[in-house]
Amino acid sequence: MIQKKICMIGSFAVGKTSLVRRFVYSIYSDIYQTTLGVKVDKKVLRVDSTDVELMLWDIYGEDDFQKMRWSYVRGSSGYLLVADGTRRATLEKALALEQKAREEVGKIPFILLINKSDLVQEWDLDAVLESHFNAKKWTVLRSSAKTGENVEEAFTQLAKKMLSQP
Amino acid sequence: MNTLLGNFLRQSGFVLLERHEDGSFGLLSKAPEWFVQFWPAALCDDKFSIQENSPFLENFLVDAEIFWNSGKAGLCESGTWIETNAAGEQIALEARAMHLDGKQVLAIFSPDTQYQEKARVLQTARNSQLQHERLLREIQKKEILLHCIVHDLSQPLSAIRGSFDCLALGNDPESAAKFIELGKHASEQQESMIREILSAFAADLQADLNAERNINSAPDLLSTAKEAASMISPAFSAKGVRLSVIDNNSGQTNWRVRGEETRLRRIFTNLLENALRYTPANSSVTIGVEDEGVSLKAYVDDEGPGLPADLRPAEIFALFGKEKKNGGKAGLGLYFCRVTVERWGGSIGCASLAEIGSRFWFRLPKAPLNGIDSAVKKAEQSKDDRKRMKQENRRRLRILLADDQEDIRVLTTHQLQRGGHEVVVVGDGQAAYEAVQTGNFDIIFLDEEMPVLTGVETVRAIRDFQKGKGVSNIIVAFTGNNTPEDRVRLMGAGFDAVVGKPFRLESLDAFLNDPTDIKSLGSPPDERSRKSGASLEALLQRVGGDEKLLRQMMRTFLRDTPERLEIISKALKRKNGTDLAYYAHALKGSLGIFGAGEAVRHSQSLQDLGRVGDFEESGRVFGLLQEEIAKLQQNLRGYAKEAKAESSAVGKEVQSKAKKAKKRKR
Repeated sequence: MIQKKICMIGSFAVGKTSLVRRFVYSIYSDIYQTTLGVKVDKKVLRVDSTDVELMLWDIYGEDDFQKMRWSYVRGSSGYLLVADGTRRATLEKALALEQKAREEVGKIPFILLINKSDLVQEWDLDAVLESHFNAKKWTVLRSSAKTGENVEEAFTQLAKKMLSQP
Repeated sequence: MNTLLGNFLRQSGFVLLERHEDGSFGLLSKAPEWFVQFWPAALCDDKFSIQENSPFLENFLVDAEIFWNSGKAGLCESGTWIETNAAGEQIALEARAMHLDGKQVLAIFSPDTQYQEKARVLQTARNSQLQHERLLREIQKKEILLHCIVHDLSQPLSAIRGSFDCLALGNDPESAAKFIELGKHASEQQESMIREILSAFAADLQADLNAERNINSAPDLLSTAKEAASMISPAFSAKGVRLSVIDNNSGQTNWRVRGEETRLRRIFTNLLENALRYTPANSSVTIGVEDEGVSLKAYVDDEGPGLPADLRPAEIFALFGKEKKNGGKAGLGLYFCRVTVERWGGSIGCASLAEIGSRFWFRLPKAPLNGIDSAVKKAEQSKDDRKRMKQENRRRLRILLADDQEDIRVLTTHQLQRGGHEVVVVGDGQAAYEAVQTGNFDIIFLDEEMPVLTGVETVRAIRDFQKGKGVSNIIVAFTGNNTPEDRVRLMGAGFDAVVGKPFRLESLDAFLNDPTDIKSLGSPPDERSRKSGASLEALLQRVGGDEKLLRQMMRTFLRDTPERLEIISKALKRKNGTDLAYYAHALKGSLGIFGAGEAVRHSQSLQDLGRVGDFEESGRVFGLLQEEIAKLQQNLRGYAKEAKAESSAVGKEVQSKAKKAKKRKR
């Protein structure tokens, strides 16, 4: 079976762990529990009649207390760049992380997830910012680990992108 | 291996593994239970693969390999990772690559206590960070809000200032009236904005919540929708947009929802203002209500361009969540609607309609019914049934009401609608004239003193328009100038009847039962109310025993009067006779509602003095008027309390008296 490594990258408290838990175990909790360290989960996904085992590296969020170790991303076929729609700063952090990822692991497929779409009325972003990403030809999805919106879709789309890579 | 460091690591709980040349590992120390559950092969094999069961370690060994081959001193750390055992427990692990006694060693340990402590500190730090960010966002929002408020509030001010500038330029009375109306409209707009802001951010939220929990004051969704529609209808008329309330739920009598009436009305007003903003001229806006079992739904349909494709409904109701292309206000209106509806346990949303326009809707839980409420409901139901039967037996009239005073509009509209009539409400003569050109009415009520076109000018314009068309409405004048001479003057101008303010709603009702009997209209001043307002019973009689309406009228009066007095005082200071007469007249209308005969007399004198420009005498009369109004305000505040305690008893008694009186008349 094809195995692919996917990393969850983003600032702290954007919902990376919740997205993985929703995707792998179909569970969600409203209580924020910070991730210390790295956790690897696996899930088999059927993409265009091909079974792919995804190894999901849920990496702790970067902030002043924990710096990202880029060695964790080594060997990844793609990553989900996660930002929290209610915190504009996390999107700026996502931009910086994408740039750094490109330097460290080269150009590999990724999808930007603007998470917490269930709280869209509290979102701190505007259409201009989103069109900025579209202009960069990034794949941007609004997601919610709480409602499950675009969670499966994001992993599937990323898997397709990874499989289409030479 | 018995180096000092090796011993220290063993005692510290590290599992030491030697890396062999073929890439496999062998134990250099005892394997504790936590280790064996992940790498059971370690117990039986001298050489085993440590990376096989751990993608994390597999990744780390790349770095470790580089370190070992470099021959550097020191350590290469993996950082923390989590493994899950067969029981589903998550174990934190850390690894170190090092050289010990000439061997390439991998040390793994489970930093359980340190990990828990580290996680706790990090959790606290991040929670604080998130809280800090939230506070910053709140501060930022408030700053933006402040900016928006300043910006939005300054717009009506510009209009007011512009009106003053125009007034200063010329003395054409017609233009002056127009500019005064413009300024008034702008000030009303500003007042409404301030109310919105206060509502959205009121500090006494808890007090409001307590009020909302009082199920006996649960508002009626349908009648509140009608009231809101009636209040806002002048703006719709001005833009040429038809506004209608669908009321085809003949079997439904309970439209009571959880909430509070004033704010429910504001929700409707906000949704209607929003609909008006996007609906083009000569189109329609419709309000409707639906019973959904445990909840009631209200909606406002417009014929505008529909919702922007790139905007989600939830975003539209966000703070500052307006559609930016078309401007609008600070984006508070719909935010207020959402916050309020959600606070009452309801939901709100919007969607584009299939062909044209959009629908804004909200859903509120039905007001709970306890024993008392059930009894009240039953009584109301039978009352409503009787009322409906009675209404079905008489003709439903289409009535145009034009009055620039909100309290008179509300009072009269309420009474007319209670009588089962359809009412179109406008705020000035010009709007009334335009409404007559586009719609058919059985009866037209015109206030005598209105902005843009006065009552007399309007009746003349309507009669001219209808000449030769075979149409002639019954047109009735509402006036505070109710002397025999005034009546002759007004009838000569084209009115069919004259109603002096204050008028009794029951006489209005009698007139509407038989509009051809214009003699039934007449309103001698209430002798009992010469001093400072009628008794509570008399006031209830004036509003047909409707205590809710009376309370609303009292609230409006107590809210608006200080401002009106301030305007009159300023007009006196500036020696502006026109303003003085105009606002004294407006005040007179409100005072008349409460039967404050003496205050009405002083207002009339002030109006007359303003017209002739006698400011010395005006000052004295104004003093007397203020005294009378102070007494009336005191009485009304007392009544408001008294009304709460006695309302149902008195209301029922008055209603029963009114019914008996009607029977006797028949």
